[in-house]
Amino acid sequence: MATTTAKPNIQIDDLVREMTTEEHTAYKAQQTANAAQKAEAEAKVAARESALAKLAALGLTADEIAAL
Amino acid sequence: MATTTPNYGWPVPTSTDYVKDGAVAIEALGDAIDATVFGLGTSGLTLVSATTVGSAVASVTISGAFSSTYDNYKVTYTGGTTSASNQNLYVQLGATTTGYYSIRSGIRYTAAAFDFVDSNNGSNWTPSGCIDTNPNLNFDILQPNMARITMFDSSWQSATGIAFAAGYQNSTTQFTAFTFTPDTGTFTGGTVRVYGYKKS
Repeated sequence: MATTTAKPNIQIDDLVREMTTEEHTAYKAQQTANAAQKAEAEAKVAARESALAKLAALGLTADEIAAL
Repeated sequence: MATTTPNYGWPVPTSTDYVKDGAVAIEALGDAIDATVFGLGTSGLTLVSATTVGSAVASVTISGAFSSTYDNYKVTYTGGTTSASNQNLYVQLGATTTGYYSIRSGIRYTAAAFDFVDSNNGSNWTPSGCIDTNPNLNFDILQPNMARITMFDSSWQSATGIAFAAGYQNSTTQFTAFTFTPDTGTFTGGTVRVYGYKKS
């Protein structure tokens, strides 16, 4: 028995309709790109926070860290 | 004997004035009101569109948002919910999927600063996010319908901190529409409002 995969709805002005197959393909690709971008940005922030914590552990004061 | 109103000083008759002078009194009052109203400044922001978001939609497009009537606009989306928590909100202009640049700079409630390069010649801007499942889109967009580079700036609220974001779209495309989406899932409810900044 054939099955169909429901596609999310989108809204254009006051019209709500299901995505076309092309729109759904683009939507999934965009979601993947967004997730990668978000993960990369958050990894950089985490690395920075980790570095700052290590500097504090070495004995640098908050003012000294801020001056770097 | 005629007197005047307490705020604008419009002439009005008193109870002892002659009825036969009523028409002249009304004319004088009308002229005074006309002069006052004509001189009042109009609002700097004009509502261009208000769109109610439906149920469980993965993206929302406002197709007639921008025109030559205004150079600059303000966009808000409030009152809605997202199906997943703490989403970023992404914005694309028209059908353009390249040339977006945006940076976010802020501070977490734990006092840690953060700076994100959200888009470096990417496919969208990231002007805002959500506090749990409460999306908050609030950005100014400059000259989207002019044959010039389009720019934006926004305030950014999330459950972990606040930020300000800004950026541009590197083309001279004259946009009329924009679309916004969350990371994953859908929006339900709320209103998207587009305002135009008065030119002069």
